[in-house]
Amino acid sequence: MKLEGIITLFVVAGIVWGGLFYFLYNAVKFERNKKSDE
Amino acid sequence: MKQKEFFTSRWGLILSALGIAVGTGNIWRFSRIVAQNGGGSFLIPWVIFLLIWSIPLIIAEFAIGKSTRFGPIGAIAKTAGNKFAWMGAFIAVVTTAIMFYYSVVTGWCIRYFVSAISGNLFNTTDHLEYWNVFSQSLFPLLYHFIAMLIGAFIIYRGVVNGIEKTNKFLVTSLLIILLILLFRAVTLPNAFEGIKYFFTPKLEYILDYKVWLSALTQNAWDTGAGWGLILTYAVYMKKNEDISLNAALIGFGNNSVSLIAGITIFSTVFALSSVDAMTQISQSGPANTGLTFIYLPLLFSKISSSLLVNTFFAGIFFLALSFAAMSSLISMMELSTRTFIDFGLNRKKAIAVVGLMGFIFGIPSALNMDFFTNQDWVWGVGLILSGAFISFSIIRYGVDKFRTEIINAEGSDIKIGKWYNFVIAFLIPFQVVVLLTWWLVSSASWDPEWWNPFHVENAGTCLFQWGLVLALFITINKTLVRKTVI
Repeated sequence: MKLEGIITLFVVAGIVWGGLFYFLYNAVKFERNKKSDE
Repeated sequence: MKQKEFFTSRWGLILSALGIAVGTGNIWRFSRIVAQNGGGSFLIPWVIFLLIWSIPLIIAEFAIGKSTRFGPIGAIAKTAGNKFAWMGAFIAVVTTAIMFYYSVVTGWCIRYFVSAISGNLFNTTDHLEYWNVFSQSLFPLLYHFIAMLIGAFIIYRGVVNGIEKTNKFLVTSLLIILLILLFRAVTLPNAFEGIKYFFTPKLEYILDYKVWLSALTQNAWDTGAGWGLILTYAVYMKKNEDISLNAALIGFGNNSVSLIAGITIFSTVFALSSVDAMTQISQSGPANTGLTFIYLPLLFSKISSSLLVNTFFAGIFFLALSFAAMSSLISMMELSTRTFIDFGLNRKKAIAVVGLMGFIFGIPSALNMDFFTNQDWVWGVGLILSGAFISFSIIRYGVDKFRTEIINAEGSDIKIGKWYNFVIAFLIPFQVVVLLTWWLVSSASWDPEWWNPFHVENAGTCLFQWGLVLALFITINKTLVRKTVI
């Protein structure tokens, strides 16, 4: 694969899947905190 | 009417809203549009528009639905003011009109799943003929009826036992199936060629404004943002439920599914195609069906020499497609049902009306592909106007007030900054104007009689049908308000 293809793969997949896992991680964290507060 | 039923958990709400966003468009439209727009060159603007169109509008819908506890008509009236209730009615009609023919699409998926597991799909090698025989028979009508019946049964069971439980099952199963298919696809010989094409950008495409407009259109149609569907599910959010984090999860989750589906389809096509792979992926076919219903069955028959293995993969692919379609269909039915509930009908009666109406008004699309294409065109483009009305409502309410008092209210896990004001007040309206102008003006290039309202796909038919709906609702605006919010 050419360099620009590799860069696009990392940028696109990084933002989309990275964003998904980042917000998923935070959602799990907030849910745990809410449960422990209760 | 006081809301009594709520999603039981954050995950139930997220999976249900993901069920709205993830539809057949993630699987068949996304791959075709990527192929037509230079692979990786398309993916870059596609990610940008996820951030400046889809997620801000998903946030807006969650906030409007949660704060007003009304379906589209009441929600827009409460947010923008009573004299704009007709905008909410337009949003409800656009999505309901899409429901009429989307049920037909769901029926096609169910039919192909049945054909795949019964082995019938591999009894032929001419899949174009197979599709033509099916689409010109009465079977689409039967499967449209089955799809509406299943959808009505699910929403009849209520928000928790129907919508939430079903989506937990459908969306989770869909993700598992897509991961199995992804694994199979990328392990096929020569699959890497497909992945290479999928991600490699071409400079001439990146500089082409049409690629950017296609990326915006894909986000507008594919994420469910601006349809009024997320607004409807938000009616059933708990008071202390977060908005922004959930919206981000749905936007990123939806586009993640598209990426998985894209890699799977590109890998499969490049690995198994004996003819020009790109021509095959790019082909549209009637109502975008070419790749999915004509070409992929042929590829599935080549996955291995074992008929059982091929049947398994074709079966789970069309099962995934059916699940994606059904999870979106029930959200459209719920939007229509909620609208009738707001008018004072009880849930059972509202579902009966929606089910019957959905079946009857879906019949022309089930039997006539031109009618189907016309409706797909008119209301597909109409969704952009729906997005504009949602954005307009927030501007009328006061963008900063909306952000601080509703989005960042009690229960929010993350606070949205002032950037949101700029996106809703300027970027979304700008994108709406550009998109609407582009689509309507482009239609003149493929139809010299662009003004003729009785042609299948042109500006005239859009303006005529939207005009009828808008004129009706503007005329009866006071009645709409009296029957819903007062």
